[in-house]
Amino acid sequence: MPTNWFSNPAPVVRRVRAYFAAVNRQSQIPVLFDPTEQGAFDLDNPPAPWISLGWIQGFTRKTGTKTVAVMTGIPASALEQIHESLAAEVSFQFLNWTKLTMALATGSQHMNLLTPASGVSGAADGAQAAAAVTVQSGSTATTIALASADAAKFVAGSIIAVDMDYAGQVGFVGTPIAGAYLRAAVTDVDYIRRVTFNLALVSAVGATSLTLAEALPGGAPVSGAKLQAIAGFVDREGGCFFQEWSALFVAEASQGERILFHYPRLQTCSAAIETVAPIDPKRKEGLERVLLNGRFLALPVTDPLDGERVLCYRSFLPAANALV
Amino acid sequence: MQNAKDSFYIALRSRLTTVNPQRVILLRGSVRPGILVEDAEGPFSQLPNDVFVLRWMGLGVEMNLDSAMTAEQCEFVYQTCGTQSFGGLDRGRALSAMDEELIAILQPFQTPKLNYIATPPAAMQTQVFWDQPEFGPVTNQKDRMSRSVHVVVYSYQEQGE
Repeated sequence: MPTNWFSNPAPVVRRVRAYFAAVNRQSQIPVLFDPTEQGAFDLDNPPAPWISLGWIQGFTRKTGTKTVAVMTGIPASALEQIHESLAAEVSFQFLNWTKLTMALATGSQHMNLLTPASGVSGAADGAQAAAAVTVQSGSTATTIALASADAAKFVAGSIIAVDMDYAGQVGFVGTPIAGAYLRAAVTDVDYIRRVTFNLALVSAVGATSLTLAEALPGGAPVSGAKLQAIAGFVDREGGCFFQEWSALFVAEASQGERILFHYPRLQTCSAAIETVAPIDPKRKEGLERVLLNGRFLALPVTDPLDGERVLCYRSFLPAANALV
Repeated sequence: MQNAKDSFYIALRSRLTTVNPQRVILLRGSVRPGILVEDAEGPFSQLPNDVFVLRWMGLGVEMNLDSAMTAEQCEFVYQTCGTQSFGGLDRGRALSAMDEELIAILQPFQTPKLNYIATPPAAMQTQVFWDQPEFGPVTNQKDRMSRSVHVVVYSYQEQGE
């Protein structure tokens, strides 16, 4: 009688893919991932609101959780164990440079370099920006409606930042993804667009609209949002803001099985550091690739199932017909 | 991958016309810059002298990137017997001149990627780039001196390629 099962050895994986989703910093609500409903997702099209950050390398999980034994008797022997502390770190290298990977690999605010106004004096994190234009109603996550005079200011290939004017608020700023925490008010009306994650590349310019090559991470612009072009990004060694995101790492193995590591709350815990690696390992003197290093501290959430405080969920979805 | 190979060759050919417009070859009835792709010409019983012959060899692909990166190994072979006016006694100088020309046309180490299937060639989104050349030793065969140089040419695969 033919068998319809097999014994699957340890998973064989090539690399790990990373997905991040914004934690609501105001309410401290992370994004949860359900492996039963979402575990088999298409790796190129993650379920909302997860954002694919592509392949990563050097994915390393390090536990800092400590257990101690409660000793009793003479001579003393372990009666039971207790958790003394709960801690975990994750580290890896990003294989691309984007707004999000740079921000995640930076232990502070990550800022957009707004296109400057003409004739203004320079500043290390970008001069006074050219005036923002107002987003018109009817805009979506991939199409921005503008007045015709405003649309004419942009070209295909522009990178745009879409967010509200800064109006003197303190605390977390940036909608819907917090890009900074202000302890005191600042004077820059463009400050939120300097730190916003709501960015996209313009693929085409129409008479009264911009078509975006990718959806804005924050979805359709909110009423009153404004738009500015950016030239690039800048981050600083220093500062007091910690990026915090929900993270999902997926290792798909040779037989179709998946290992999923879901960290509801990860905070960046190292300053910006790069690793330089030769693109051809056989030619150490040749071209080199500059990789962003990410190192993160896992923060706990309370699992509503049983009230336990946990840092990470590791799920395993076996290969079809593999013995368990 | 072919777009990258075409772009690399055309870039070097254009640069050669600036670096040394006198280095030409009469090929299939037309005078062309003195650099050719071996697999795009009829087979040679013997490689022509005083021109750069470009030969595509190994291929590597890194697929774990958002855009797959290809690494194509390219070999330049060139040889010279010197000039008749000097009875071939200048063949060392002639080879040195070709070394210098190759170094010159390989810089800068990148060029825009174009699709030469289209007419006129269509600009693509990325750059083709390459590593420093690795020069092999001079080989002497009677009065002919030759050299082989290896360059790895990198490019990113774009949508539709």
